[in-house]
Amino acid sequence: MSTPDQEYFLRRIRRALNSKPDFSHHGSPLFAHAPSPEELQILDNHRRRTAADRNALLSQLMEAALPIHLCVIPVPDLIAAATAIATLAEAKKPEWSAVKNIIVWRHPLIDLMELKAPLNRLKIPLHRTEPMDPAADPTQDRIEREHLRSAVTASYIGVTSADLCMADTATLVLRNRPGQPRSVALVPSIHIAVITLDQIISDMKELFALLRWDDRFRSEGLSNYMAFISGPSKTADIEATMVHGAHGPREVYLYVVSGK
Amino acid sequence: MPDISPETYVKVAKKGIANPVLQKALAGLQDRFGRGTAEAYRRLPEGPELRFKAHDIREKAIAHLDALLEILAAKIRANGGVVYFAQTAKEAVNYCITVARQNNVHRVVKGKSMVTEEIGLNPALQAAGIEPVETDLGEYIIQLAGEKPSHIIAPAVHKNRHDIADLFVKKTGIRRTTDPSELTQAARKALREKFLSADMGTSGVNIACAETGHITTVSNEGNIRMATTLPRIHIAFMGMERIVARLDEYEILLRLLCRGAAAQTMATYVSYISGPRRPGESDGPDEFHLVILDNGRSRILADPQFKEILYCIRCAACLNVCPVYGKIGGHAYGFAYSGPVGAVVTPLLTGINRAKDLCLGETLCGACMDACPVAIDLPRLLLALREKLAYGDENWQVKPASRMEGLAYKAWSYLIGHRYIYERFLKMAGVGQKLFPRSGTMIRRLPPPLAGWTQSRNFQPLAKETFIEGWRNKKAISNTP
Repeated sequence: MSTPDQEYFLRRIRRALNSKPDFSHHGSPLFAHAPSPEELQILDNHRRRTAADRNALLSQLMEAALPIHLCVIPVPDLIAAATAIATLAEAKKPEWSAVKNIIVWRHPLIDLMELKAPLNRLKIPLHRTEPMDPAADPTQDRIEREHLRSAVTASYIGVTSADLCMADTATLVLRNRPGQPRSVALVPSIHIAVITLDQIISDMKELFALLRWDDRFRSEGLSNYMAFISGPSKTADIEATMVHGAHGPREVYLYVVSGK
Repeated sequence: MPDISPETYVKVAKKGIANPVLQKALAGLQDRFGRGTAEAYRRLPEGPELRFKAHDIREKAIAHLDALLEILAAKIRANGGVVYFAQTAKEAVNYCITVARQNNVHRVVKGKSMVTEEIGLNPALQAAGIEPVETDLGEYIIQLAGEKPSHIIAPAVHKNRHDIADLFVKKTGIRRTTDPSELTQAARKALREKFLSADMGTSGVNIACAETGHITTVSNEGNIRMATTLPRIHIAFMGMERIVARLDEYEILLRLLCRGAAAQTMATYVSYISGPRRPGESDGPDEFHLVILDNGRSRILADPQFKEILYCIRCAACLNVCPVYGKIGGHAYGFAYSGPVGAVVTPLLTGINRAKDLCLGETLCGACMDACPVAIDLPRLLLALREKLAYGDENWQVKPASRMEGLAYKAWSYLIGHRYIYERFLKMAGVGQKLFPRSGTMIRRLPPPLAGWTQSRNFQPLAKETFIEGWRNKKAISNTP
């Protein structure tokens, strides 16, 4: 489907390039239909990763996380993660209101953590996001969206998981899905992410090789919104002085469940 | 603040040089980022040579720009987005206003974007009765001050904490503080209200990828994520050249962009956006629009001499090393883009004669080329512009900048081509120079039209004998038995 503005626009570009519509690309191919030898090597390394390799990646991640103020905390299991999160929730004060509220993703890993019990003891209400009915009528749709909006703005902590984490730059990779809204990792003052050890990958090259060629990742692709998050929000716009918490979360914690 | 434009280059540059706050800020900025970026390139696993690979990637993308844009547009539409191709700044602005009016938009939160600065989106929105709110901290500061950005990445670099404190007290009524973290907190609070109440968010596009059909936005503050997540409508503005074919090529460019822009290995936030929220998703915009802008770029594309400037990804690395930018600051360039890239792009987009001082002002030292993440030969481009100014060019409607200069160079080329006359000339000049005032051995002041040369430096007088004379005499002595 093309539009008149597009036709005219592209005609001018073609005239400038002195070319006809061209999808067959000479020289290095414009698009690839199979992984390159380098990508095959990366995918192979990904498949063969041993427990020792994974721990090495965790160490690399922790080192990269330090200078960007991302707190990476390895925990043996989900119960330990839940306890740690509850302790954190008790210690931290809400930024925008006097009351404490926590919002969490509906996600298999987060569900298994059973945060509700320890937070109940602290009398901190927990809001879990739910996928909306895709066939909801506009009114219902609006009500549910507003419900999420008020829950997320009222929360000082947002708990999510992530698809992957790149050790090289300490970057979380989150793809959009119903029930896992992106604002949970953005609007609350503190973002907590929980992942398992096998979700740590080496770098962006590995991420893109997986997204391009590995069937488990390829089916969903990048989704309509994929976010890289490397530590808390920051700015240096006033006299080049680093300040954390410009617009996004001021603090980010990453719990890595190592299964040991 | 008076209106600035490329014509006011000399005047604003002089003011910049005389401004101690600006001088200190620019020195600090260049010291930090200039060096940091060079170091970050050295630390790349592939080394700084990766920049040349990136240059090839950009060259290929631009050579297939028509196909790449067509694929990107088709994929975004398939994901429920709307794509509009704007030939001019006016078309782009009008499109935005039309969408805003159709949706009863009163407030627009903006992610930092130089292309919206280029097309003058803010004044146009205001004129249409819509409130544009800049949300990048630096942009927010200069919007409050009613000024223009003076750096592509650090728009408020020309202001110190005291300026900002006074500004915040006056405009937002906070208690005075000069602490950057308290000032940031004040902006965070004020802008959170704006994010939550805005009906539309706008952003630029750092790099789009045709293979996946995504645009990407890069920020450290998170303001772009807020502006593209919370409001009902997101409009992204993209210069037509900001695209690559494949994800593996994108990977190289993103790594270089983060290093070039802020000497980082990765910006805090990178978002990949291909459309509005999907059914079942409870946040994200209902509508996603991508405006792809020409505004003079296809004309640059058609000129093989200048096409290379379209490889630029607007990281500002060249500003952070440029000795001219480092003294005069960004406002002198009089347009959205400053520094070496501004000195090339602004004349090409707004008129070479109009913006002639920008390319004449640069030194051709080549620091920008070494800092450029995609290894653009900026000195070559500056020279090509000067050539147009010297001889005129019909395609670009350039008139020769100075007829006298052309005549003088013609006379000079005749002179140095005729040895006998040249030597007579030197003899005469050697005698004539005795009339000029001296400072030590140097000439302190030359008469017009050469007076400009000695305005800020002395002139080396002609030697007593020419090199050839000296050589002859030397030989004569050594041949003497």
